[in-house]
Amino acid sequence: MASNYFYNDAFRFSRALNTLALAGICAVLLMAFVWQIAFNELPCPLCLLQRLAFIMVGAGLLLNIRFGPSPLHYGMVIISALAGVAASGRQVLLHIAPGDAGYGSPFLGLHFYTWALLLFAAFLVYCGIMLMLDRRSADHANPRRSSRTAAAVMWLFLLLALANMVSTLLECGFGPCADDPVAYLWLSLSS
Amino acid sequence: MIMMLPFLTGMLTVWFGIRGQRRMCLSLWFITLAIFAAWCHVHMTDPLGFSL
Repeated sequence: MASNYFYNDAFRFSRALNTLALAGICAVLLMAFVWQIAFNELPCPLCLLQRLAFIMVGAGLLLNIRFGPSPLHYGMVIISALAGVAASGRQVLLHIAPGDAGYGSPFLGLHFYTWALLLFAAFLVYCGIMLMLDRRSADHANPRRSSRTAAAVMWLFLLLALANMVSTLLECGFGPCADDPVAYLWLSLSS
Repeated sequence: MIMMLPFLTGMLTVWFGIRGQRRMCLSLWFITLAIFAAWCHVHMTDPLGFSL
């Protein structure tokens, strides 16, 4: 009984942390959107791949909230974060040479792809710590009831994933994106 | 190359995750990852302007 109580308590703590991490992903995606619309800075293909990696990271966190913590879900987060490191690291290397102004405007002194690289590295550290904390958790195949806060964060995450899909469709249509996009393909076709 | 395709599969991954259908969610996550890798091959294989 005592061990069950401990397990449930730890499980609740883990779900709260995963909800907080998913809220962080939502904040990142929202920030990217605000920047895109307010400053009319369209995301390049590598920027889009980084956004996609954040969505894949979020999917692992979401499963931790929905089904309880599991090494399977943390594995998803780790692989997605590594994919994000590859995309953002590549973009950092593209603009690392002296005299290169970088792509887009900097935010708090760093470009968004550099922030993305740091965040993906932070998610790798997060998974390392959470796998230690959740070492006693077992894999549960059935979904659990989520709190209202967790449900709100998950639905916001879905909304942002949908918004990214629509935005990419407007920017690139059903084809590849330009390396240095200046206008939304579908919006320029209609005008 | 359809750039919006992985966003569609990514969005469906999240949808099935929220619905509690883990098997579908995992399958779509793997598909998204595979498309991500393919798109990386298109956008990340040009030689860099310096040597590492």
